[in-house]
Amino acid sequence: MIGIQRKIWTLTALVMFIMAAIWIMLTYYNQKTQDQYNDILQRYLNMNEVTAASRQTVNSLNIYLLTPTEGNLSSLRRSEEELRNTRSSVGLLRNGKNDFALTSYINLIDSLLETTDRSVRFKSERESEEATRTFAEATRISRYISEMTLQLLDIELNTYEHFYRSIIEQAQELKKLGIWILLSITFGLLLFTYWFSLSITRPVQQLTKAAQELAKGRFERQIVVNSTDEIHFLATTFERMRININNLIYEIRKKARLESELQQNRLLLQESQLRSLQSQINPHFLFNILDTLSKKAFLEGAEETSDLLVSVAGLLRYNLKRLDRAVTLYDEVRVMRQYMEIQSARFTDRLNLVTEIDEKCLSVQIPGLTLQPIVENAVIHAIEPSESGGTITVTIADGGDAVWLTIADDGPGMSEEKRTGILEEREMQPEGHSTGIGFGNVVRRLRLFYGIKDVIEIDSGEGRGVRVLLKLPKTRRSDNDDEAADRG
Amino acid sequence: MHKTISLALGSICAVFLFFTMISAIRFVQSAWQVPQTQMQETDRYRLVLITQDLGTPFWNKVGEGAEEEALRLGANLEVWGTYGEDREDFLKQLEIAIDSKVDGIIVQGMDEDQFDHLTKVKAAFSGIPVITVASDVPMSESMRKTYVGSDARAAGKMLAERLVQDMGTKGTVVLMGDEREEYDQKRRVEGVRGVLDAYPDIRVEEVTTSDEEEKVAAATQAVMNRFPGVNAFVSVDANLTAAMVQEIGRRSQIAPYHLYSFDDNPEILPLLRQGKLDGIVEQSPGEMGQTGVRMMMRWLDGETVPLDTEGYPTAIRVLTTEDAP
Repeated sequence: MIGIQRKIWTLTALVMFIMAAIWIMLTYYNQKTQDQYNDILQRYLNMNEVTAASRQTVNSLNIYLLTPTEGNLSSLRRSEEELRNTRSSVGLLRNGKNDFALTSYINLIDSLLETTDRSVRFKSERESEEATRTFAEATRISRYISEMTLQLLDIELNTYEHFYRSIIEQAQELKKLGIWILLSITFGLLLFTYWFSLSITRPVQQLTKAAQELAKGRFERQIVVNSTDEIHFLATTFERMRININNLIYEIRKKARLESELQQNRLLLQESQLRSLQSQINPHFLFNILDTLSKKAFLEGAEETSDLLVSVAGLLRYNLKRLDRAVTLYDEVRVMRQYMEIQSARFTDRLNLVTEIDEKCLSVQIPGLTLQPIVENAVIHAIEPSESGGTITVTIADGGDAVWLTIADDGPGMSEEKRTGILEEREMQPEGHSTGIGFGNVVRRLRLFYGIKDVIEIDSGEGRGVRVLLKLPKTRRSDNDDEAADRG
Repeated sequence: MHKTISLALGSICAVFLFFTMISAIRFVQSAWQVPQTQMQETDRYRLVLITQDLGTPFWNKVGEGAEEEALRLGANLEVWGTYGEDREDFLKQLEIAIDSKVDGIIVQGMDEDQFDHLTKVKAAFSGIPVITVASDVPMSESMRKTYVGSDARAAGKMLAERLVQDMGTKGTVVLMGDEREEYDQKRRVEGVRGVLDAYPDIRVEEVTTSDEEEKVAAATQAVMNRFPGVNAFVSVDANLTAAMVQEIGRRSQIAPYHLYSFDDNPEILPLLRQGKLDGIVEQSPGEMGQTGVRMMMRWLDGETVPLDTEGYPTAIRVLTTEDAP
């Protein structure tokens, strides 16, 4: 993982390195040039020293010849020594071009020294004339040395001309090179810095974009950041956070759905209760009247009418009481029979009820008022419109872990649209004159009650009648649902 | 966007890097090496050729010949000298050569005491061999090892024979010479006289003058006044010829006169081509330089000891207007 800090360090180190390299190069070049200049100057100075030393020697000789004292002699010797030194240093200046001249030069110095010695010797032997003549010769040689120095300097200039010009040229080239290097480095650094800053800002931008997405509530998109530094770490953490939030949201949604289902259940119950309440004023009055009517009929000897009135009263009472709690299938079957008795009175021979009931299965729990509305639906759609009437078959059989409750009629059947409408719990326009609870309501309550979807099957077709199969589980899914249902 | 910027910056950077590279290469290449210093002096003979007439075609040829030979024999030769016969400077150069202890001196001879002193005393004292070239000086006075150049007497003789051929055996001949009467000139006159004296009808008059132009002109006038019937002029010093020819031309036609000279002056050859001179003695300067160096090397290497003191003559021939290149 390349950290941002390391990147910055790299950049700085690079810049430092380039600067140091240029500095070293310039210093080296300067030093070299300086050395060369020093060498050149040294050469000129050496040659000049020879001239000076030769003049000094001649001068000392002159003084000695005029006043031949020990002191003057020693000063002459010193001058000669000086001249010898310069002679040896000049010997180092030899090169291909000045070989001849330099040899001549050194020999001239030797000649001067010899002539000086000769002059001194003549002087000491008191041969003044000879001494003066050799002095004149020494003077001449000294002059020749001066001239030769100029000649050597001339040769020197010619020899080194290329070199001097190259130094000038090189200095100019260096100036140009400096400008080019400056430009190259400027743009190189710009490029590098651009890349470098991009490598930091691009992941940040990606992260910002991802954060904006999250802020807008889109938790589905995965956060991808092309980076290997600290931003990558941030991005990974961020991504983990997104996944967590996403999971939480999913769970909250799930819970909310459950909650809304519960709410719906409650609302349905309330609706049923409201309906029953609406009809509560009349019922109590009606019960009393029905009771009175029943007694009256009985007293007047109309026993059949009396029984019918009792059935109507029982049905009404059941309707009012049993809606919001689980009942046994036994109760349901009893209410269904009472209802059928009433309907038999209405349809007489046209209504034919066939029941095949396994008594063992009657203890199963069932929401109140489920069987009666289905049977009522069958009566309304199969019996009522038919002049010849029909047969309604109610079968209760043991189907393993469920009780199979079948309500079949031989009416005209129902349309496919209506069938799916019922199964999808759509609210239907109530048709005919039912007791008030629709098929859809029944289906919904059944599903809520058992907590399973395939509690009901409807088999129908044009002219085949309708066959409704309820699979009532012998054990309920959970007690919670039961309690929730009870509380409603 | 990013790519464009990167690409632009990258290409600019690449261009600059390219120029930087070129500049760096130029910078490195512009560094000249300091001329190598050399610790030992080269172990070659150091010879000096000293003349009074640097820059004239004659002496250029001598110098070229000498340098060629020096290169062949591996000697280190330098040509020193003065321009326009600066005698004082010439002698100074000779002294410098002696004082700087060259191995050999090849010098244009000069018939002067100071020259003799330098060669005989100083050079001999330092043990430096001296060879005269082109102009000779007497052996006894200069202690020269030998002489390389035209045999002046033979040259004079050759010219005189030509003169007799052109003029016939009767007439007056004026010999024009420098008043310094150098050894060379004397020998030439000897050569001319040697031939002409055999003819009793030929009268030979010697005239000397200094080498200034007016003096030469004056001398020419004087001699023409003195000997109106002069038939021929022989200029034994080439440096006087031009002025002499000019003066004769000013007085009368040049054609009737027979004019002769030697070739060791740059003005001679054009005069010959113009037909103003009837004949000259052409020498071989290149050969002089070559032989001079060769003889010096032989002496230094001890191959030919001693050298022939009479000298080593180089080729001479008479050149007439028709032969002029």
